[in-house]
Amino acid sequence: MKLIVYFKTLITGVLILIAGAAFSVQATEMSNDQAVKEDNLTAIEYLQFMQTAYKNLNYEILYLNNLKNTVEPKQLLHGVINQEEIAYFRYLNGAMRESLQYLQKISYFEQGSQPYTLQSTRNQSVFANIANFNYEKGLESYEYIILGKGRIAGKTAMAIRMISKDQYRYSYIIWVDLDTHLPLRLDTINNSNIILDQIMVVSLKVSEQVNPWLESLSNQKLPELFHLSQTSNLQASLWQVDWLPAGFNIVKDDQHKLVMYKNEPVSYIMLNDGIVSVSIYISAKKTTSEQQKTIQRGATVLYTDQKNNFEINVIGEIPVATAKRLIESISIVE
Amino acid sequence: MKDVNEQLSAIVDNEFIDEKLIDELLINKDKQDQFCRYHLIGDVMRGDVTDQFINFDISQQVMAEIEKPAKTAPVAEFDSSTATALQKGENNVISFVKRFGQYAIAASVAGVVVLASLVTSEPAFENNSVGLEVLKTVPMGAANPVSLQTTKKQSQLEVKKHNDRLEALLNDHQLQLQTQP
Repeated sequence: MKLIVYFKTLITGVLILIAGAAFSVQATEMSNDQAVKEDNLTAIEYLQFMQTAYKNLNYEILYLNNLKNTVEPKQLLHGVINQEEIAYFRYLNGAMRESLQYLQKISYFEQGSQPYTLQSTRNQSVFANIANFNYEKGLESYEYIILGKGRIAGKTAMAIRMISKDQYRYSYIIWVDLDTHLPLRLDTINNSNIILDQIMVVSLKVSEQVNPWLESLSNQKLPELFHLSQTSNLQASLWQVDWLPAGFNIVKDDQHKLVMYKNEPVSYIMLNDGIVSVSIYISAKKTTSEQQKTIQRGATVLYTDQKNNFEINVIGEIPVATAKRLIESISIVE
Repeated sequence: MKDVNEQLSAIVDNEFIDEKLIDELLINKDKQDQFCRYHLIGDVMRGDVTDQFINFDISQQVMAEIEKPAKTAPVAEFDSSTATALQKGENNVISFVKRFGQYAIAASVAGVVVLASLVTSEPAFENNSVGLEVLKTVPMGAANPVSLQTTKKQSQLEVKKHNDRLEALLNDHQLQLQTQP
């Protein structure tokens, strides 16, 4: 009899323990749920938060660029000084290669060559393309879907897929840090879901104050400004593109010289859809022999074709099919 | 032994006083010498010692250390023994200073890089248009050299020319990206 009582107390004790454990599990789950609720944004909201964070925070990121088998570690320091963005970038391996962008100017410093400055109104840093994209307008050509949570650089990130609605552009997967909303990873994928290009943050530091070094760089005298207008005569290219993939606009149309190749004159058209820019070069026919038409490196393609007495080169982060179709649609302005 | 040295060093710094050790110090000649050296090191580091004094101490050491008839120049020996004699006591101090120093250097080097690049002389390029030479170097992140698979019929030179041109196109593309509106 005594034994039974003993067992009873034992069993109730165990039961209480189990219930307690279960309750505590429930409690933690609940707090998690609450955290999620606070962050329960739609895909486009995540992307827009990411844009704001990328432009307005003071941060330092170390990231890798994966291109096929090569990995290139790089560093980006970003800050805001007097409401103006300042970005310092450098390669971490090999020869010193650095750039500084501040007040619509970008300066390049490279070991063994003279530094120079270019007028550049667009942010040129690593995630700039996705950080400057108009996602509302982009709904015409992309769909945004939340893939779920992942972990990048030790941080919980939300993966958002940006799927192209047609086969003329690549799709992207963007990982956004749940805490700071900074972008942590960007994959460029083709429609067979193969990753063509990957940018991955491995370390992220966000600070209240702007990095003191950026502050001192902002007062630095810059190298001589190089005016690109020296090479272009600002005339229209005299060529027209009759077909453009949805969302693309012509942003440049001129004639200029290839300063890096015998000052060869070329007609030039640049297309842009907010994410990628595509260059079209039209020049006199160079060779008669059959050349390899496609050169692919990561997401960037260089596609060459000949038309009558002209050679057309298309360069950009677009599928080959787009390049082909663009070339087909090019004609001389009557 | 090392422990004793540390204690000696502590006494020099007025940090530690162990009567036993002081008694020992009064008897032991070796310890006395060492105590003197520590004091000297302290003085050297504080900068209140004359050159003569250092030389005196080191010459003794050198004499003791090299009894063999070495033909090496004594001056050279002086230098290296100065280093070894001072190293022991200095160690802590040095690493501390270095740590602070490096932080300052890291910041100032960056400043220098920017400035030094500004004053580098102009390279002598053979290019018709002045000021464009720099653009031979591709802006950041530009494409790697292009390589093509070709049929054997094409001459090497022709292929090279073609590749150069494609590379120039890729570079120009990068340049246009930088300056796009």
